Amino acid sequence: MQPSSKSLTALILTLLAAGLLVLSLAGYTQPAESLVLRPLAGVQSWVALRFAALRDLLTSPRDVATLRARNAELEAQLASLQQQVIALQEQVAEAEVLSALLDYARSRPASRYLAADVIGEDASPFLRSVWIGTGSDAGIARGMPVVTERGLVGRVVEVHATVSRVQLITDPQSAVNVLLQDSRADGVLAAQPNGEIRIDLISQEAQVSNDELVLTSGLGGGYPADIPVGRVVSVRRRDFEVFQEAVIQPAVDFEQMQLVLVITSFPTAPESIVAP
Amino acid sequence: MGFAVGLPLVVLLAILQSAVFSHLGLFEGRPDLVLLAVVAWSLAGRTHEAMAWGFAGGLALDLLSGLPLGISALSLVAIAYLASLTEGRFWEGHLLVPLGAALFGGLLFHAIELAALWLSGHPIDLAVAAARILLPSLFLDVVLAIPALQAASSMREALFPPKVTVG
Repeated sequence: MQPSSKSLTALILTLLAAGLLVLSLAGYTQPAESLVLRPLAGVQSWVALRFAALRDLLTSPRDVATLRARNAELEAQLASLQQQVIALQEQVAEAEVLSALLDYARSRPASRYLAADVIGEDASPFLRSVWIGTGSDAGIARGMPVVTERGLVGRVVEVHATVSRVQLITDPQSAVNVLLQDSRADGVLAAQPNGEIRIDLISQEAQVSNDELVLTSGLGGGYPADIPVGRVVSVRRRDFEVFQEAVIQPAVDFEQMQLVLVITSFPTAPESIVAP
Repeated sequence: MGFAVGLPLVVLLAILQSAVFSHLGLFEGRPDLVLLAVVAWSLAGRTHEAMAWGFAGGLALDLLSGLPLGISALSLVAIAYLASLTEGRFWEGHLLVPLGAALFGGLLFHAIELAALWLSGHPIDLAVAAARILLPSLFLDVVLAIPALQAASSMREALFPPKVTVG
């Protein structure tokens, strides 16, 4: 009985330790350490505050009962005001996002937009997609591009009556035809399974530089032209290869998305029109 | 009673997993709330209900993800069954049983998920998926296994109080 129990203990502890070791070797434990330090700092702050209060009480005797009552009253007022501030901050943040989205929509009057809330991420952590709270009832259809005021988010890949799933450009199955703004080079943006977002099929003749803005090209008709996608952070060019590659930093912060715009119709780029 | 309470519960957990815990995970991993509920309920001795929970919760997860419908349900039913195999063993009540069940249940769950994605042609870098998603998720599942079992035991006692013979 005992050896079996010991083996089980050893196995689980070894697996846990191995997991932590791998995470540590990969440099992922830093946030966890910060996470552990956070409650410790909270306790430390709590103790320091109480100690200071006790010291004040001992060194400067006053009408403690009156002070306590006044303190409680002020704390209640402070809590009420803090709640109001938080509510107002939320409203201001939402208004700012809506205002930015409105500005974006106004800057591209040829397209039609539909605003939608981001209501959740894919239940599978291996898929890069988000759920938005608008669906076919509001006119959403599969394939529609999705943007924020900062740039391209992805495209609708699954539509239900009241919700839709948007595949992000960071998903390895996503592919977007892009144009590098300064060098005017075309390429195809595709996220790699390792999380890197890479532009492939860039001509060797193109002079691609770091920090160059990447826009949708409109080729293929899947996305409207000139939507910001991101900026080049590194370029890989080898003489023996047919094409060069560039890695980009996306313009959109996918972790912070609250509201998005679905482009329900847009003018097709001239290049995408197929001659009869 | 276990079905009436459990089925809405696992659906709610699936929604929380998508809407809330996707932001509260460790790195890119997140706790598998439905898996934990299914494993805990199975270890609490309610195997049949646990399998039903797994089926309903799995379907809810599949609906809230890009996975083919039924994959998570299949794996969670299997995990509920496997977790029930501890019943009657001499180490049934050992503290490490829920930790092990959560760990291996999570491994099996994600292995089936990855296999489904691989078979559907979704590009996957196994090393990156393991380091960024799988290990943190398993770590979170193991950490939450004991509280989940305690909650399940309390719920079982509330829903199915032990019969008392008087006299």
